[in-house]
Amino acid sequence: MSLNKIERAQGLRIRSQQDLAAGLFIIALGLLAIFLSWNLPMGSLRQIGAGMLPKSIASICIGLGLLLALSSLRYNGDELSGWSWRGVIFVLGGAVLFGLTIRGFEIGSLKVPQLGLLISGPLVVLISGLAAEDKKWKELIIFAVVMTLFCALLFKYALSLPIPLAPWLLGI
Amino acid sequence: MGEMISHLTLGFGVALTLQNIALCFVGCLVGTLIGVLPGVGPIATIAMLLPITFGLDPVGALIMLAGIYYGAQYGGSTTAILVNIPGEATSVVTTLDGHQMAKQGRAGVALGTAALGSFFAGCVATLVIAALGAPLTKLALLFGPAEYFSLMVMGLCFAVVLARGSILKAFCMIMLGLLLSTVGTDLETGQERMTFGFPPLSDGIDFAVLAMGVFGFAEVLRNLESPETRDVVRTKIGRLLPNWEDIKQSINPVLRGTTIGAILGILPGNGAVLGPFASYTVEKKLAKDPSRFGRGAIEGVAGPESANNAGAQTAFIPLLTLGIPPNAVMALMVGAMTIHGIIPGPQVMTKNPELFWGMIASMWIGNLMLLVINLPLVGVWVKLLQVPYRLMFPAILIFCCIGIYSVNNQPVDVAFTALFGLFGYLLIKLGFEPAPMLLGFVLGKLMEEKLRQALIISRGSFYTFIDYQNRPISLGLLIVSIIVLVIALLPAMSKKRDEVFTE
Repeated sequence: MSLNKIERAQGLRIRSQQDLAAGLFIIALGLLAIFLSWNLPMGSLRQIGAGMLPKSIASICIGLGLLLALSSLRYNGDELSGWSWRGVIFVLGGAVLFGLTIRGFEIGSLKVPQLGLLISGPLVVLISGLAAEDKKWKELIIFAVVMTLFCALLFKYALSLPIPLAPWLLGI
Repeated sequence: MGEMISHLTLGFGVALTLQNIALCFVGCLVGTLIGVLPGVGPIATIAMLLPITFGLDPVGALIMLAGIYYGAQYGGSTTAILVNIPGEATSVVTTLDGHQMAKQGRAGVALGTAALGSFFAGCVATLVIAALGAPLTKLALLFGPAEYFSLMVMGLCFAVVLARGSILKAFCMIMLGLLLSTVGTDLETGQERMTFGFPPLSDGIDFAVLAMGVFGFAEVLRNLESPETRDVVRTKIGRLLPNWEDIKQSINPVLRGTTIGAILGILPGNGAVLGPFASYTVEKKLAKDPSRFGRGAIEGVAGPESANNAGAQTAFIPLLTLGIPPNAVMALMVGAMTIHGIIPGPQVMTKNPELFWGMIASMWIGNLMLLVINLPLVGVWVKLLQVPYRLMFPAILIFCCIGIYSVNNQPVDVAFTALFGLFGYLLIKLGFEPAPMLLGFVLGKLMEEKLRQALIISRGSFYTFIDYQNRPISLGLLIVSIIVLVIALLPAMSKKRDEVFTE
């Protein structure tokens, strides 16, 4: 909203936490990109090297981020709103767990067998379902089972995608 | 003309096979089914349903995806009318009068008018695509790398101007998208760029991973935050078909809306989003009694809905002829085409004429399907609108998880998507609108390639882009981009723009 606000206030102070944070975030990403592509050759305009575009785009990002951060000192805008960890943990956690269990993984001594959709499916529904404030256990458990069976039928049989169902039990 | 008819005959020959009709039907049905859910827009719907097309042949897959797209669009309008929640920017206008009509017990007429208007608009748009397809493709073959680069610059400028919220922030998003597109192995030199030395990243960031993370997961996180208040219409739906009086009132708005929407939809850079707003404004200006608008005027549903559908469809033109997606939905289509091994662009029409014309013919069939499916099934949609979000989002999640896993059969992709979900949530929290990022991401690789080629040809001189003697098209496109940006940044215009997007 910042650039479009016509009325501008006098004096510089933080007038929009959100825009300031947004600007700083973009600057940080730009700096990270420049750091990561530091060793890539720029090449010349005739023969553009691998590093030319990442570095130039990152520089533009930093410039835009600076503009955004500075404009947050001049123009009124939104405040930062709260961050809901509950959603992040359960929803994204559920998805990560799905990724870990669907085909199994090994990190050092930690081993998870290949559990397949019949386990991973209910897991993701149950765990992500916890993010809702008005969750009902019974409903959620039934829903998890029904959804998993539906997805197994749809993806494995109707669409024949190669997704493991329960290799440890059914061998498929 | 004769050529167009022979092309359309070819197309209908492809689209009217039993399998493709079935796919189109299923696509429209599931698209509407998911699109009708409050808070799930067309982008999320397509991203979520992408995996169900993986097993199909390319023609069938694209026909189905197009069906899903129309279904999601129409589902969004249904939600807008019945619940007053617009699924996306283009159905915002429909909530104004559509929901009022629903409150007055004329929900059925509103839905019916929207469906009939959309059908008419869809028919016209299909003809427009068929007519413009061949000449524009020929034009595209004249384009060199410099023209392509300038065209994409123009597309991105339009996308910046037409994005919701701050122009500066939209700019940031486009640039971020471009930056993300450079991650992975550089195609020209084979060097790895910004991969943290992590092997799964050396192929670059997967398009489906980014789209589902930012539009699937992050959207769920955003929706979970605000406790939902659904204002589902409790009055009767009423009769569906508009009576003679309604038809007389809406016929001109439909015609005007279709024209406006079809023209704006062709613009690169999400012109389609302007269609409904423009149509609503025009109808309000032309009306004898403008005060009826906002209180359930049928013109306020008929015009914008037609414009919406016409624009949604003509937005395919830049994609099919030039290979340049004009908005985030079309960017998803590019992703889908690439997964099926088709590189969108002028060569599609010459190399795969069945695919090109089959898809165009299927657009018309899809519109017919929408009419056939939607009106009788209104009761089902109303029921769906009552599904609580606490059950909806776990279902969305399991679909996304299976979908992402199936793209490459890579479990690590699911974890990546979760990471992008977090990233998308952060962007939303910082007030960014992520749709332009997706567009930048998709155009990024192509832009880099064309930039390199253009500079090799011109021996490293940027003059090639503004060389008015040899490359007037490129110069023209760049001038248009600058004009668009300057106009949008003028204080008077930016105030108007704010009004349009907050109305």
